[in-house]
Amino acid sequence: MPHPSSNEKKQIPIKEGLFTAPLSPVERVRLMGSQCRDCSEISLGKRQTCSNCGGGNLTEIPLSRKGKLWTYTVIRHKPPGDYKGPDPFVPFGLGLVELPEGIRVLSPIQCDLERMKVGMELEMEVYPLYSDENQNEVMAFRFGPV
Amino acid sequence: MKEVAIIGVGIHKFGRFENKSYLELGQEAAQMALRDANLQWKDVQMAYLSKMYLPATSGARILKPMGATGIPICDIEAACASGGIALSQAILGIQAGAFDIVMVLGTEKMPRGFMDPSMIYEKWQIQMGMDTNPSYWAMRARRHMHEYGTTDLHLAKVAFKNHKNSVHNPYAMYRKEFGIEEIMNSPLVCDPIHLLEICAPNEGSAAVILCPKEKAAQFTSKPITVAACVPTNAYYSADFRAPVDSLSAKAMNPGPTEMAAKKAYQQAGIGPQEINCFEVQDTDAFCEIEIYEQLGLCKKGEGGRLLDEGATEIGGKYPVNTSGGLISKGEPIGASHLGQVFEIVTQLRGEAGKRQVPNAKVGLAHVLGAGNNCAVTILKV
Repeated sequence: MPHPSSNEKKQIPIKEGLFTAPLSPVERVRLMGSQCRDCSEISLGKRQTCSNCGGGNLTEIPLSRKGKLWTYTVIRHKPPGDYKGPDPFVPFGLGLVELPEGIRVLSPIQCDLERMKVGMELEMEVYPLYSDENQNEVMAFRFGPV
Repeated sequence: MKEVAIIGVGIHKFGRFENKSYLELGQEAAQMALRDANLQWKDVQMAYLSKMYLPATSGARILKPMGATGIPICDIEAACASGGIALSQAILGIQAGAFDIVMVLGTEKMPRGFMDPSMIYEKWQIQMGMDTNPSYWAMRARRHMHEYGTTDLHLAKVAFKNHKNSVHNPYAMYRKEFGIEEIMNSPLVCDPIHLLEICAPNEGSAAVILCPKEKAAQFTSKPITVAACVPTNAYYSADFRAPVDSLSAKAMNPGPTEMAAKKAYQQAGIGPQEINCFEVQDTDAFCEIEIYEQLGLCKKGEGGRLLDEGATEIGGKYPVNTSGGLISKGEPIGASHLGQVFEIVTQLRGEAGKRQVPNAKVGLAHVLGAGNNCAVTILKV
């Protein structure tokens, strides 16, 4: 069995339970949802309880990589706190992306800011946002035009 | 249930006060409310402090120097709706017969600029840059524009009206009129929301003193009755506000404002058509338009039309934010709802001067914020 070379970076999710495993190749990674077996509502990421009906009978459901922009804005000033995006800051789109499973996910939108439009088709991309103190690549997500 | 009345109100101007501690801001508002109610601090039997940013036990730190009378003093937090929760707790205590005279104080002294995101968001949301509060307001505005044809001009009209109203409110921060074009040409914070269309976090304080209505005449000739005070938190997926990371595309629950307003109208036996003045959560100009619809002042999607008709100006059918709203007063979060109550009480007493709504008998105050916290209070003469 070949071992990964020691200088290969380990990839970790920005939040545990947010993505399907494994995190490579990134083209196959999907956002993970939790679907309630009682009321069928879906929440983002791994959950213990359904926030709609309060039930504890949840099942993991990988979410579609493609969706449509439901609404959006442009972040024109560097967000407060420990923002890990480009430095110096570059304005970026932020929107709710509606996925076919019946959930709208808040996400950065990688797109020509002038061309953002409600209803536009988008696809998810998983990418390394920053390297942590242990040299892990911390993987985040964003949506961009198909 | 036992009726409760407001017998005193006090306020410290909202703004920036470099040389004043939060203790002074709070004590000034508290003392003003006591004078207004012809009471002394030793008469108060229970006190609540509504706050979000101040440190632990701020209520005791502010009020105990006025006299260590041994009464319970408790801090309450529910983001922008903190004051509504504190007020409802005070009312419940009086209705239960536990206390006769209760003070609700709201005080805040907030840092400049964006609020500290770690108080509201998870680490990953902050790292990905999804923690700019106005972005939530902006995305709701964009969707409303898409569905109903609401325009940039409608948003500017809200800011124009509120800034204009604030000129006559000595307790507001800006007190400056801005032209429509000046508002629309101010920098975009989060498209489509401009700088002159959002509220600034700031400093200030407001206080309310309550007692059973049957005893109110002992203290004041102008008691104001609390017809309803309904705090609430949104149903599942019914509100898109910090720090929500997703929404259901299937659930169809009424929003927190609709829910609180419906309960408040029922409790008061008063509908929106019978209300003469409104103070609502205009964290941004769009938010006020959405609230017109959710309070039932017009149908869904028609908030822009209501503005075009001038219905929400002083002199219109539904005067909204006669004080200048948060857009002009700023939002010292814990003090916000109590500041609204101060304005409504001032209007119902007929003491609002140049911003007076003629013959105001009933008023409504509404707050809404992070964590989907909301409160609606209805007051009547």
